[in-house]
Amino acid sequence: MQSETDEELMLQVRDGAGETLGVLFDRYHAPLFHFYTKLTGDRTLSEDLVQEVFLRILRHRQTFRDGTPFRAWIYQIARNARIDHFRKNRPQVPFEPEMAPAVLPADPAQQRQESELLHRALMELPEEKRELLVLCRFQELPYEEVARLVGCGVATVKVRIHRALQELREAFHQLQAAPANRNAQRELRPRRMGHEV
Amino acid sequence: MKCEEIGELLPDYLQEGLQGEKKNIVERHLANCAECSEVAGLWKKLALIPEEEPSAEGRARFEAMLQAYQTGRGDEGARRGSPDRTSLWSGWRWLRSPAGAVAWSVALVALGVFLGMQAGSTKTNLQDLAAMHTELTNMRQMVALSMLQQQSASQRLEGVTWTRREEQLDPQVLAALMRTLRYDPSVDVRLAALDALSRHAGQPQVKRTVVDALQEQQSPLVQVALIDQLVEWRDADAAAGIEKLRQEPHLNPTVRQRADWAISKLN
Repeated sequence: MQSETDEELMLQVRDGAGETLGVLFDRYHAPLFHFYTKLTGDRTLSEDLVQEVFLRILRHRQTFRDGTPFRAWIYQIARNARIDHFRKNRPQVPFEPEMAPAVLPADPAQQRQESELLHRALMELPEEKRELLVLCRFQELPYEEVARLVGCGVATVKVRIHRALQELREAFHQLQAAPANRNAQRELRPRRMGHEV
Repeated sequence: MKCEEIGELLPDYLQEGLQGEKKNIVERHLANCAECSEVAGLWKKLALIPEEEPSAEGRARFEAMLQAYQTGRGDEGARRGSPDRTSLWSGWRWLRSPAGAVAWSVALVALGVFLGMQAGSTKTNLQDLAAMHTELTNMRQMVALSMLQQQSASQRLEGVTWTRREEQLDPQVLAALMRTLRYDPSVDVRLAALDALSRHAGQPQVKRTVVDALQEQQSPLVQVALIDQLVEWRDADAAAGIEKLRQEPHLNPTVRQRADWAISKLN
């Protein structure tokens, strides 16, 4: 079963072999969890959203068509689950410092401090840009796939990625220039966009 | 080359999608431009942000959800004998069924409309067209009605899909859809019926049926879907029905958790 493609497994799930979904869960729950933690900075919420994705797969398994790339399908569900969540649950959970990956302040390694700062800069980006970076960089989806996912052209995705990186650079510089802000972490909140994605 | 021009190439370079001369151009620019070089460096540094790992509890929750789902399907499978793996499109048998015959009729009427328009294109009779449109709508609804009564779950599922093609449903079809939600033996068909009915929330009996179905359904998957729908509609009257369900002593824990959440949303 392990050697079967995602699509083959999903077709089995669609045709009634619900237990096969366990293999897909093993393959995708960590990437989806990373996707959500990078976007929301909230570990508990990310766990809940991953569960929601698999619940939706079961509920809508009949809509999976032969020939549909599974990865694109599951990420579409994942995006919708997140959008629906924030539509139904306002006010949103603010980004708290403990949501960020654990970084030891006494760690002498500059690299780790830098990556902490970079993560905070990422959370400062508007959600639309953050999502693009997460999909292209952390999930390593090719631009073509991301373009289909967010419903725009490949060229647009590339332009947006470039802009997102420029904005990330500015946010990163601001955080570097104002170390006091790093202590005022409770004021940091992930910026959100509307639900037009 | 200017930074703006490099900006067009940079995303491909970062995903290692550039070769040859283009790659050289970007690398030469990066060697001389601190700003672009920093942007490219940030892309690389993003990979250094540590990944959090999901907890083991996630797997347990998934197993519980799957178990709940399998339980619902198990009851259904026992009634049906064996899982229905027949796809509507995997064969042409359905075309010989009554539903297939109706579907063919629709296709023929549509063809007639098309040919009629082609032949009489100089003077289109709008009244005739309107009548034909009504006839087509009626035929489609007949197909839906007929397919909702088929033995095969996949055909009933297709029947539900047919109902989604209409903005307004004939009361008879709407009633059939509501019956399907409440009594269809297949979890999938019931879920599809709920999705189809969600488009007709304006009809008071639809909301009432969804609330009533909450007390009747045994499948946790359907129960969760019903709760979600009632929250989506923000139907304050539904809170009492959800509360009643929550009191069920043998309620699936996942459903109970969802009911708690729903009540907090609706109150």
